[in-house]
Amino acid sequence: MRIVVRSLVGVLVAGGVLTAATSIPAGVTSLPLQDPQKPPQQTEIVLTADKPGSHPKVGVPDFTVTGDAKVKEAADLVANVLWADLEYEREFYMINRKSSASIPVAATPGTLPFDQWQQIGADFVLMGSAKASGSALTVEIRLISTRGDKPGHEDFGQTFSGCSVENARYCAHAIADDMHKRIRGVDGIARTKIAFTSDREPGRMTTRPVEDSGQSKEIYIMDYDGANVRPITRNKSLNVAPSWGPDGRTLAWTSWASVYPDIYLTSLDGRPATRPANGTEIIQNQHPAISPDGGKIAFSSSRGGKPGYYDIWVIDRDGTNLRNLTPNTVDWSEGAPTWNPNGNQIAYTSDRGGSNQLYVMNADGTGSRRVTFAGPVDRPTWSAKNFIAYTLRQPAGHDIAVLQLTGQQPVIITNGAGSNKQPTVSPNGRHIIFVTTRWGKEHLASVDIDGNNIKQLTTVGNNTYPNWSPSPR
Amino acid sequence: MKRTLLWISALTIATMVSACGPKRPATTTGQGPAAFPGATTSAPATTPAPTSSGVVPPPPPVVIPPDQPVVAIDPLTKAPIEAINKDSPLKPVYFAYDSDVLDDAARKAMADNAEVMKKYSTWIVTIEGHCDERGTAEYNLALGDRRAIAAKNYMVTLGVPAERLRTVSYGNEFPFDPAHDESAWKQNRRAHFMLTAKD
Repeated sequence: MRIVVRSLVGVLVAGGVLTAATSIPAGVTSLPLQDPQKPPQQTEIVLTADKPGSHPKVGVPDFTVTGDAKVKEAADLVANVLWADLEYEREFYMINRKSSASIPVAATPGTLPFDQWQQIGADFVLMGSAKASGSALTVEIRLISTRGDKPGHEDFGQTFSGCSVENARYCAHAIADDMHKRIRGVDGIARTKIAFTSDREPGRMTTRPVEDSGQSKEIYIMDYDGANVRPITRNKSLNVAPSWGPDGRTLAWTSWASVYPDIYLTSLDGRPATRPANGTEIIQNQHPAISPDGGKIAFSSSRGGKPGYYDIWVIDRDGTNLRNLTPNTVDWSEGAPTWNPNGNQIAYTSDRGGSNQLYVMNADGTGSRRVTFAGPVDRPTWSAKNFIAYTLRQPAGHDIAVLQLTGQQPVIITNGAGSNKQPTVSPNGRHIIFVTTRWGKEHLASVDIDGNNIKQLTTVGNNTYPNWSPSPR
Repeated sequence: MKRTLLWISALTIATMVSACGPKRPATTTGQGPAAFPGATTSAPATTPAPTSSGVVPPPPPVVIPPDQPVVAIDPLTKAPIEAINKDSPLKPVYFAYDSDVLDDAARKAMADNAEVMKKYSTWIVTIEGHCDERGTAEYNLALGDRRAIAAKNYMVTLGVPAERLRTVSYGNEFPFDPAHDESAWKQNRRAHFMLTAKD
């Protein structure tokens, strides 16, 4: 099975929103983690330039369907998920599908009831059609202008073959990423994943020898929008702090499966996880961060120093080349390392100044400098767009803050509703997923970098330590 | 089943011994079997099945002929580890907010714990460091470690061999009281002594 994105009906200037086309060569893109059998995406497409600042209003009618009820169901799912994916990135103003539900579905662009679409403010109608052959699903998308001299003009058209009826959500995500890239010039994140810790499944923590030992906490992965949750660990212990590798397939995390916290590393291929840092009762290792080139892991470890005090260590992923980046013999504790996008700097927390603050150092341990001066703070995440999001202690609780490292004051993203901790940043730098108690238990929420667009992503159990995967490459 | 019955008998004997022995204090503040409240009445202590919480009906009386020497069988030497940890003779040690400093109450609790560990010389104990929910999870893992290690170091000064003490931090991941107020937080800032191995 292949997803073939086959261009194209034509990309033309329309209403000043969509502009000229440049062709880009066919490429092969892997689709990490969706469906291991699922193949690369082959593209032969036309790229349209973006027009930042304008937000065309788009309506999405039901797709026309060739096939049975199952195909209809898949087509409805694609329409709804695509609508949500486009709405999430805020590049299009998406008209609520309920407000357009009464407008008759048209089979062809020419027969769209333009007056009705104009009435509810649509600049464009996103028409879709779906047909299936067995479980293979083909979805055709057309973006039709409702305005100008020639309403009915097609501004974007694409046929996506090789989707499957069973995996309609992924089909929608692939279409959304494609539309964002080609129409708006934005790297979408609809195919990304979130790894996190949850106690959602009943199960006693078996590494504490007492009946009421507490609920075990396992690592899970879900789609960026909270769908498709699946477990990664099943060891009935405590598993926290998952960290993705750059390939979107490697995961490192901290587990107490051997009673003491140690770094575990897996390629999500069914082979047993490795323990490159070789933890023991005396050498306890936590909070791994895989380097951007995938070759190294930074982590905090109690080895070598005064018992109970942690330093930042780095090790090659095969367990060699272990070194301490923050050696000291005083009562300082360092933790929560995170790499910059180039992999030549590491941010981390230290209490050396009295309270826990963020520091930045070169990846060889030289040149440490303090970069936060309020708080205490914790859990920095150095985003692919080169800013650092972190947890900031406020008088009433915790909030998410963003630091640009160019001398400005940090910007606080959340507004004090509940306690807000452990931010992780989308690969395109436009969204943050974090832990909040605003809905009672610990849940994951998404917020845009400007503080708007709060969405609840989890509803079951307590959910912590989110970590955003890189985009599929 | 046979083991359970044997163990109930052992409990009964121990109960009678502790009830009749002239030197044994009646209160539960001392060491030994009497300091293990619940061991003689709590069903989970006799049933390894982790879900049981009912009360065991009193066992038939065991007649001890007079003038015959009685060997006291300490229930703690036979009880499953989980049963001992459920109602442990080892006391928790509490801490102030964001602190790993041991206060007088902590030292007193550990003096008692040291006596228990000297009496049961095969016990290996893991000291767990726990924190309340108010900090951050990452910071609390380190704080819990410092609490556990502070407790371990003091136990060693009391004469308990370091080899019999392990430490691990759970930060704020396993609160003893899940509520969100000071009375809960107070319970959750602790070094918890968990029997890990014996015999």
